[in-house]
This record gives sequence, C-alpha cells and structure tokens, in this order.
Amino acid sequence: MPHSWPRLLSLIGLAALSAGAVQAAPLQSEHLAVELVAERQALVAGAANWVGLRLEHEEHWHTYWQNAGDTGLPTRFEWTLPPGWKAGPIAWPAPERLQIGDLFNFGYSGTALLPVAIEVPAAAAGTEATVRLAANWLVCKEECIPGKAELTLTLPVAAAAAAPADSPAAAAVRAALARRPVAASWKAAVSADGERINIRVQGADLPAADALDVFALQPQVLANAPAQIARDGAALVVNAARSEYFVAAPAALDLVFVERRGEALRAWQVAAPWPAAAAAAGPAAAETAHGAAPGEVGGLGIALLLAFLGGIVLNLMPCVFPVLSLKALGLAESAHAPAAARRDGLAYLAGAVSGFLVLAAVLLALRAAGQSLGWGFQLQSPLLVAALAYLMVAMGLSLSGAFVIGARLMGVGQSLAGGGGARGAFFTGVLACVVASPCTAPFMGPALGFALTQPAAAALAVFAALGAGLALPIVALSFIPLLARWLPRPGAWMETFKQVMAWPLYVTAVWLFWVLMRQVGADAAAVALLGLVALIAALLYHGRSQLQPQAGWGRRLVFAALLLLALAPLSALTTLAVRPGAEAGAGQAWQTWTPQRFEELQHRGEPVFVNMTAAWCITCLANERIALSSEDFAARLRRDGIHYLKGDWTNQDAAITRYLANFQRSGVPLYVVYPRGGGAPEVLPQLLTPGLVDAALARAAASPSPSYSTSGSSP
Amino acid sequence: MKHLSAFLAAALLSTAALPALAKVEVGQPAPAFSLADSNGKTRTLEEFKGKTVVLEWTNAECPFVKKHYGSGNMQAQQKEATAAGVVWLSINSGAPGKQGAVDGAGANAIVKTGNAAPTAYLLDPEGATGKAYGAKTTPHMYVIDGQGVLRYMGGIDSIQSADAADIPKATQYVKQALAELGSGKAVSVPVSQPYGCSVKYGS
Repeated sequence: MPHSWPRLLSLIGLAALSAGAVQAAPLQSEHLAVELVAERQALVAGAANWVGLRLEHEEHWHTYWQNAGDTGLPTRFEWTLPPGWKAGPIAWPAPERLQIGDLFNFGYSGTALLPVAIEVPAAAAGTEATVRLAANWLVCKEECIPGKAELTLTLPVAAAAAAPADSPAAAAVRAALARRPVAASWKAAVSADGERINIRVQGADLPAADALDVFALQPQVLANAPAQIARDGAALVVNAARSEYFVAAPAALDLVFVERRGEALRAWQVAAPWPAAAAAAGPAAAETAHGAAPGEVGGLGIALLLAFLGGIVLNLMPCVFPVLSLKALGLAESAHAPAAARRDGLAYLAGAVSGFLVLAAVLLALRAAGQSLGWGFQLQSPLLVAALAYLMVAMGLSLSGAFVIGARLMGVGQSLAGGGGARGAFFTGVLACVVASPCTAPFMGPALGFALTQPAAAALAVFAALGAGLALPIVALSFIPLLARWLPRPGAWMETFKQVMAWPLYVTAVWLFWVLMRQVGADAAAVALLGLVALIAALLYHGRSQLQPQAGWGRRLVFAALLLLALAPLSALTTLAVRPGAEAGAGQAWQTWTPQRFEELQHRGEPVFVNMTAAWCITCLANERIALSSEDFAARLRRDGIHYLKGDWTNQDAAITRYLANFQRSGVPLYVVYPRGGGAPEVLPQLLTPGLVDAALARAAASPSPSYSTSGSSP
Repeated sequence: MKHLSAFLAAALLSTAALPALAKVEVGQPAPAFSLADSNGKTRTLEEFKGKTVVLEWTNAECPFVKKHYGSGNMQAQQKEATAAGVVWLSINSGAPGKQGAVDGAGANAIVKTGNAAPTAYLLDPEGATGKAYGAKTTPHMYVIDGQGVLRYMGGIDSIQSADAADIPKATQYVKQALAELGSGKAVSVPVSQPYGCSVKYGS
C-alpha cells in the first residue's frame, strides 16, 4: 500500500494540529478535511485578525482558486460574525495549475489555507467571541463532489496583541499569507491581436521566465492552457490564446505571476489596462466602451465655460460667501482709489487661480506617481478635514468679534492702497481657494474629476478657469467702480453683518466634523474636538491680548502654547482612527461594494446597481434621499432580484478609484446599472429622479441587453 | 523515478500547449458528426438540417448535471424545446470505464428513470465529437440553427454553482437563445462561460 504513508503522515499532522489551542478539530468531509484556524490564540480588538480555512486534500484531489479555469468552482465563504465585525474577502494564495487531459484548472492540492482578515472592533476587547463560517467548495479528482461545512471558532478577544503564537495553525496561516501574490509596481500593457493576446510587462526586478506561470483573475479573457512567457530584454512578454468564451474585455486584466523553483514560491499581481482599441476588437465590447464614456460634452471649450460658471457659483457656498462678501465690502470702501483697487483685483485673481492650479498640480503629480486619487482627495485626508474645520471655526470666531485676524487675510476696513495691499489681496485669493476646496468636492467633484482624466494641460486649464470664476465678482468690483457704488455704504451695520456671517462658517465646520467622524470614528473625532476647544481658548485669549496696548512675551508664549495644544490632537487622528465603514444591516437594501463581491455577481450574470458615494458628497446624499431610499426602490430591487452595491469613497480607496476610472471618472457620485445576463452597463446621470432609476432598473431586470449580439449572427 | 515523472509531466504539458480541443465559433458552421444513439441508430447533424438543434453534453453522475436534472430544469427545457420542433441531443463523451460513461442500455435507463425527453441520447465514447466541439464541461450546451450555423455555446445558465436553489435566480441561456431564434431575433447572449465537471475523455 504505497499510498498509505502520506495518508498516515497527514493524519499525524492533523492530530498534532488539533492539539494546538487555537482551532477546533478538523472536519473530515469527502476527500477533504477542513478546519477553521486563527493566527493568534486570542483575537486582537481594534485590529484586523487573520483566520483561515485549512484545506487538507486527499491525494490527487483539489479545490479551486478564484478563477477556477476550464471546469470547477471557486471555494466560497459566508461569515456570521458578532455585530460590528467585518470579514474581508479571501486573500487567495497563488494557485497551482492542474491538468486533466486537455483541460486546465487553477486551484490547490495537498495542504492549503485560504486566509481572511477579520476586523474586530475595539469595543469587543475582554469578551469571548465566536466566528462562524459557512464554506462551500467543489472538490475534484477527475470526478467532482460539492462540499460544504459550517465551522465555528471561539476565541478570547484581547485588547492588545500578545506575542505571536508558535502554533502549527499560526505557521499555516503565515505560510498561506506568504504565498499571496504581492502587488507589483510593474507596468503591463495589453495588445490584442485577433485570437492572440499579448501582454508586455516592464519594471524593476522582473523574474526570469523559465519557472514562471501566469493566471488571470478574470475568466473568459485568456484561454486556460499555459501561455507562452518569455523575456524580451528588460521586459516580460506573455503571449496567450484568447478564451473561446471571450465576450468583452475587462477594463483591466489582473494577472498573477507565479514562480516555482523547487519548494520556493514567489508570486506577483499586476493589472494590465485594456487598451480602448483592443477592447473594441472584441466581439461585443464596442458598445461597452461607448456606454462607459460620460458623453463627451463638446470638449474643452465647454468644460472651461462650465468650470468658470462653477467658480462664480462657488462664491455663494456657505464656506466661501462670508469671507468674500466682507472682502467685497472692503473693496467698496476703497472705491476711491481705482488704480490700487484694480491692482488688488488682479492680485486676488492671481491668488485664486494659482491656488487651484497648485491643488490640481499636486493631484496630477500624485496620480502620475501611481496614487489612486481623484477629486475630493483633499477631503479623504482626515487631517485636512480637521484642519479645514479649525479654519472655519477660527474665521467664524473672528467674524463674531472674538479676535481680529491680520487685516491682510480678511481685508475688512483696511486701506488697500498700501504696498502690502497687493500681497494681501493675493493671499486672500489663495484663502478663497482654500475655503472653497471643501465645497468643490461635494458639488463639483464629478466635473472636476472628469477634468483630471484629461491631458495635464487641459486639466490645469479647467482648474484655472474655476479659479478665475471664483475671483470674478471681486475682480469685477475692483475694475468697475460703478458696481462698487451699488454696494451698501460701510457703516455700523457691517458689524452686525459680520456677526451673522459667522454662522454659515460654524455650520460648515459642523459638516466637516461629521465627515471626520465618518472617516475616523467617534474616538478620534472627539480628540479633534478637544483640540478645537483648545483652539477656541487660544483665539479668545489672543483676542483679549489684542485689547492690551502692549503684548508681552508671556502672553505670546501662552498663546503659542494653547495653539500647540490645539494642533497636537491632529497628529493623533490617524493612529486613533477606527474606520466605521459602511456596514450593510440586515434590513438594508444594499451591500458594501467590494471588487470581489462585484465580480462574483458580474460573473453570475446577475443584475447589479452600483452606487459610488462619499459622506462629503452632497449630491450623493441628495440622490440617495430622493431616489434611492424609498420603499418603491427597495421593492423594485427585491422583485427583480437586483443587487444593490454601494461603494464608500469617503476615505481613500484604490479599488473604488480604479472602478471610477473605468468610466473616465475621478469623482463621485457614479451610478451604474448592469443588466441581467451580462451586457453593456448603463451609466445613470449624476442627478437622479425616482422615475429615472426605476426605468433603468426595469431595463436591467428584463431580458439581457441586445448589445451582445455577435457580428454576422443576425438571421 | 522523480526525474522520469518530471519529464513525463513536461512532455504532457508541451503537447497540451497545442490546441487538442478544437475551437468552434458562434456564427460559423458547427462541426458535422455521426454518432450512434442509445438504440444503435446512427445520427448525424446533417439529418436535422432545417431544424434548430441543441447539443447537451452530459454525465448523469456529475453533480452539476444532477443539479439540473434533480430540479427538473433540464427535462422541462427538453420538453419545451422538442414540443416547439427543436431537436435536442444529449451527448455522453465519457470514455468507457470513466465516471458516468454508459452504453446504450445504460443511457436509456438514465433517460427513463430521469424522465428526460431528449430527441436522442448519443454515445461518443471515443470523444471525437466532444473534442471537435471543444466540449469541456457537463453540462456544456450548444445551439445550432437550421442552416447548421452555431448560435450559442456555453453554460446552461448564468449562475455557476452546484446548488439547485440558484436555478430560479439564473438566466437560462439555452431557453433564451431558442426563444430568440424562434422569433427571428439575434441571440442576445451567444457565448457564456460553461461550468460543471470535466468531460471524462479517454486519454
């Protein structure tokens, strides 16, 4: 019985494993033993914990990877966790290529482990918790047997991580994690040539081609037979047959390269964007590409005009209006010095334009460096959100009369004739851009996001137009003294006006804090509020000092100390952050968008409604209120079996940014409806009405879209 | 010994890189075949010219086939199709001795006990017809129009699973293709990913 030895050894191994404290005994199913294990003896509260399903395959039997290949099915997990806990997707280790005759599958044999990160909330510390996993798999030799198991794991939850355990379970989890492909910084380019698909990969530290295999995450793109892989100088070149079941090109093909040398394994993952021309070469992709374009609205000229108009509208935003209305009144006061007023108007224009140009340039540079960012990025940083909230409160306090900001900034009642006037006006322009930036994200994110996907020169021109629009009212006032004369005469009423204008700023601060809470959780936001209290103290103290004829060193020191106290909590923001995330409750109509969940549904040809949103996006919230929260909407989803996936872009999320890029977008909201049975997705407008959504969902639920018809197949 | 097996594996791999399974294409003529049915009668694609033909690769012991027969989905589609004048051919390309491989009597027993209603159950023990079509899975479905042109190839439906509970939620691609062909429309989903067990070909 030559087979009994490895069998016996694996049994001994299993027995040794079950002696560890971390896992329940393995469950013996047909041709496969499964066991839920954890990396640590106790889960760590407020952290992601690795657990995994250990798979002990009987000799010659195997289970499948996320893309199973010619036959088979990927293993699937469904978790039941305590409230507030979150399980990530399977972090698939590098697959093996499995061959039966002429058929190729991708999966695992022998001993394998599928790891999953479980996020445990901080509040769970000190309890004992049970995680439940319903696992579904298909185990095959040549014949196949579907299997499933309900597994539980009960572990204590500790407040802090203990020393890493040395158990076999811990080793198995770590070994599986080490076999995951690493995200390579290589650049991959696809060229599709009829039945062949070429992928050219370039970058640092490319492996040799001899021990390399390549797997595609997306099925129905590459044929499953081994591809030819060769080195061409500094590049790695993959040549593969196109899948016979190729229907439409993905936006990007995700490839996993696996190098096996003896026992050593290295794996990398790289995304190969699909070129638009090659996508059109696919039998049905042209329609998809067309549907994805947000409608080229007349090109750059119109974009510039819209940005300019948008800039003018920005003047009315609650974050901008108070500051600029006072600036305008200041100008009115100085209407008697037209030359100086014109110069200041131009300086202000330069300030506003360069402020937006710098912001756009920074973003473009970050994107060029490979960061997945879009417009609204300035609100994806909790630090910046908190800083903007502080700024709003500080300016509000100044208007309320608590202290006087250097007249350079506010320019109220200050003579603009002096030499500092032009510089002051320039920085007022910059300030206008800064205070306007949080308001551009909610209201203009989509338009500016689109601009960012254009060539750099065009993108910068759009942002310059936005700055010019923002500056327009003040520039007009400074150039046309007549206009200034229409403004009310300065007087005692201005004091009242200032007091009133403080309140929109406070409200803006409240909104920013709400965004902050969504980003970092209540704990970190509370710390930032403490900092705000210190800031208010500092500014009030400063205001009192300003009444003194002479500010002594002691007073300045106290002011500086209070300021420091105000700013210190900001540094703790990110470390304290607990991402509350968007959790789908049982009664909710939607599920959280993840690339895995989305692809799974796509793969199954189910109708899907995708909503990309962010807490700071007012348009998104309005749409949700108006069109996506009614009972009619929920009933439509239920009746037609449409899956509603919601992606939250409040924080940076590279996967969502990539998804947006598929639609030439770089901002939210984005609404996409995928019809049943696959087919071209439909992009909905950025302003939704219930009727429009209902009609789109009805179309998606009906028979599959006709866009899949192949050339020549019409009778 | 180890070297020998490595050598054999390498040799296998290099031959497998050649397309041993033929490629058929939607919109192109479907490969001709001539196979004995479960009653010993020779059946060809040619003889059904003028009629729409469904080819269904099958293996009664495969869990995915069981999913669609156990639930009655496959039989219902067979009955609906044949009632509308469509020819439905179940094909077994399992090599003798492999799981699910049957002879004529075995095939007839499966049809009878399963209450199935294909026009005929064809036996392809050599696997030549299966390979000519590139049939990979059971079930694996093909729809050929009256002119002998392939109009659909792929899975039976849109949800890849072995769970019969998924059937009501799935789009039944063959049924849909037949309805569209029947009303003179283009097939809206002409290609889908086949899913199931591997066809148990001989070497």
